Amino acid sequence: MPTDILRSNPLREGLAQRSIPDPCTLVIFGATGDLTHRKLVPALYNLAADGALPPAISVVGFARRDKSDEVFRTELEEAARKFSRQGINDDLWKNFASNICYHRSEFDKIEGYEALAHRLDEMDATRGTGGNRLFYLAAGPDQFEVILENLRKSGLNKARAGSWSRIIVEKPFGTDLPSAKRLNDLVENAFDESETFRIDHYLGKETAQNIIVLRFANALFEAMWNSRYIDHVQITASEPLGVEGRAGYYEKSGALRDMVQNHLLQLLCLTAMEPPAGLDADSIRDEKVKVLRSLRPLTGNDVFKHVVRAQYGAGAINGKRVAAYRDELNVNPESVTETYVAMELNVDNWRWAGVPFFIRVGKRLPKAGTEIAVHFKSVPPVLFRATGESIDDNVLVIRIQPDEGISLRMSAKMPGSSLRIEPVKMDFHYGTSFGKATPEAYERLLLDAMSGDATLFARRDEVEQAWKFVDAIHEAWTTRTDDLALYSSGSWGPGEADELIKRHESAWRRL
Amino acid sequence: METPVSTEASIESGIPVEIGRIDKELGKLWESSGDTKTRASLINLVVYTENEAALAADNEVLASVAGRHPCRAILILGNPSAPVAQAKAWISAHCHLLGKDTRQICSEQITFRLDGDAANALPNIVFSHLDSDLPLCLWWKADFPEPLDEKLWGWVDRLIFDSSSWRNPHHQFSIIRHISSPGKSAAVLCDLNWTRLHAWRFALASQFDNASAFPHLSSVESLSLRCAPGFRISALLLLGWLAGRLKWRLDAKNETFIAANDRVVPFHIEEIPGPNLSLISIKSPDARFELKLAEGSDFFESTIQTPGIPEIRQILPAPRGRLEDTLLAELSRAGRHALYTESLEVILPLLTH
Repeated sequence: MPTDILRSNPLREGLAQRSIPDPCTLVIFGATGDLTHRKLVPALYNLAADGALPPAISVVGFARRDKSDEVFRTELEEAARKFSRQGINDDLWKNFASNICYHRSEFDKIEGYEALAHRLDEMDATRGTGGNRLFYLAAGPDQFEVILENLRKSGLNKARAGSWSRIIVEKPFGTDLPSAKRLNDLVENAFDESETFRIDHYLGKETAQNIIVLRFANALFEAMWNSRYIDHVQITASEPLGVEGRAGYYEKSGALRDMVQNHLLQLLCLTAMEPPAGLDADSIRDEKVKVLRSLRPLTGNDVFKHVVRAQYGAGAINGKRVAAYRDELNVNPESVTETYVAMELNVDNWRWAGVPFFIRVGKRLPKAGTEIAVHFKSVPPVLFRATGESIDDNVLVIRIQPDEGISLRMSAKMPGSSLRIEPVKMDFHYGTSFGKATPEAYERLLLDAMSGDATLFARRDEVEQAWKFVDAIHEAWTTRTDDLALYSSGSWGPGEADELIKRHESAWRRL
Repeated sequence: METPVSTEASIESGIPVEIGRIDKELGKLWESSGDTKTRASLINLVVYTENEAALAADNEVLASVAGRHPCRAILILGNPSAPVAQAKAWISAHCHLLGKDTRQICSEQITFRLDGDAANALPNIVFSHLDSDLPLCLWWKADFPEPLDEKLWGWVDRLIFDSSSWRNPHHQFSIIRHISSPGKSAAVLCDLNWTRLHAWRFALASQFDNASAFPHLSSVESLSLRCAPGFRISALLLLGWLAGRLKWRLDAKNETFIAANDRVVPFHIEEIPGPNLSLISIKSPDARFELKLAEGSDFFESTIQTPGIPEIRQILPAPRGRLEDTLLAELSRAGRHALYTESLEVILPLLTH
């Protein structure tokens, strides 16, 4: 009940438009893990500091280790002080922390869930949380199945009349299409799709949300956002970090499944989608799915023509020597896991016919950066031919992270009596123009989940369509290994990737 | 971190320049600052004041605002009663480091002193020094003049003022109503007194987001407010908002509101030293909602008592007391303040008392 009634609260009118979360209890599975400490609790604290949390909210940490409420709160306070984007106010923390408690249980013991159900009922009665429950799967993906099953068996998945029960699922959403379907089936056994919130934190970033505004609120860009004016699009996600102790996970996933299937395809969807019928969750997600369905499938030999996979060798990052991937701790010395992927994709629809989308993602690259670069077609080489001047194409760059912003490269005449043309850049930095700190992606996403707004979350069909596309590539890779290229750590990737884009008479952008 | 570009300090706080050479001198200022400084601007922020004693404080506010909301600031000190007409100008820049970066983000400021008849040149001074295509926010820190100069007001996008500083609010509000009447000006009215109430309104609204609290909104039986002496108008604006939202009528004679079914809702405003506003308590037959703000605190103490549920206490963000924070909050907000005029209309009859 609350959502409808609360939206009719006459005192709300005219106040800042943002999601109005319902009173609820947030149960975090895997509450002693890194995600809870680094992201979730700092995000919740920041929401409390902004007055964005509902008056009645409780946070229950569910994990296996034995500890008291007090110890749990102290650990979270330390983490919040370290990772919160704003300083911790002691009074506010004290008030916020009074809503946090710890529930010890094995994930596979139904008794723990039954005790949790009893505890949540008590909290509803004493704290006014109204029977609304938001379950957050922040545990390892190998625990998802047992948690979902026990939530179902204990009846926690079913809300009382007038209340709601929702689940937030962290990536990875499976490791391939069959496992994603299986996970989605498991979720669906316990929760309706409308109650399921699959987090891809890239979608919570301000700049990712701004793609829709940039495209559809500016006549200047939307009119030119098609194959008539755009030559190609480059989407890059680079990081200087190596596998950093995640070898166990990364050996099984690789860059394709870790980054391309979710983050990069989501950015591609936002870049390529048609105008949605509205800004509601399903209108936007419908358009994104259409893009995924329009992706020209890559199978068999096409994979080796259009996709480059590579692995980092030894090299230097920021002046320091770093080891090759195969020499990292817990990595198979003969591993063929890719730490770099570059690919040429085609969106086979009316708008994008003939416009390649080049995607690259890699570890141990020279610098961290995620961006979308839209390269416009050249002007006819007629007017300035006689001057011998070459003219660079216009490029619109949407920087997702870090230094969020937008820049536009164009040509200008250099001052002087001769005609010399040079590229100049118009640059918009979020940090410069909007001095205030932008909220962390998790703040927005948690608030939206509490409010029931699924716009920035991935829908089942999106996830499965993305897996379908990626699985075909992976399947081709299983037929041979001689295509795996090597690149030096600290370089911008293998020469094969340069060749890939060179076929289009273009080159990768230097970030 | 504030980094003055110029070491010369005076109204002075800048480099004296000829009015006709301001753009050229600003250009030189940026050329001399090298590549480490980036000029940024989102708005034109024009401040008009007649209080010379507060000029240094105004400069500090602008420096602080520019650090978080880049702008071209134009500070104008008007002294229409000065016997000799003269106009002088100074330029300066406010620079701030961008995070951990070594680059600095800078906003420029032009300061004018307009004495005697030169004060009549105000519209021209403003128009000729605006950063083109950016919105014009005019912060009027004096009583509104009569008659109004339509040339100036017609161009203003956001008109900022602070009704808590007015000695004759009823008269000043009548001018405001004239400015905002149809066909006069499209300016958004931004009363900083109203801006300060945003956190109060937000906190009050969130108290009633609670499902157990919401139904009591329709059976409020009395209201109590506490404000500092001289800030009764702030309390009245908050009451005006509440009454407007709940469709209450004012019975000015008896200083009460009339709710649906002619239910009388009395209110009481107590003036005691402390924050501008320090308490609002809303009572219904079996529930109580209270927001309390202690002196110097950044947070409200929110208390909700409803039947069948233990008392809910929450800490919520309160308005920051500093003027620059209020101004920044206002500048960060887009759109019109429709409820401001609604609230004002409700309480106008009380302002003559």
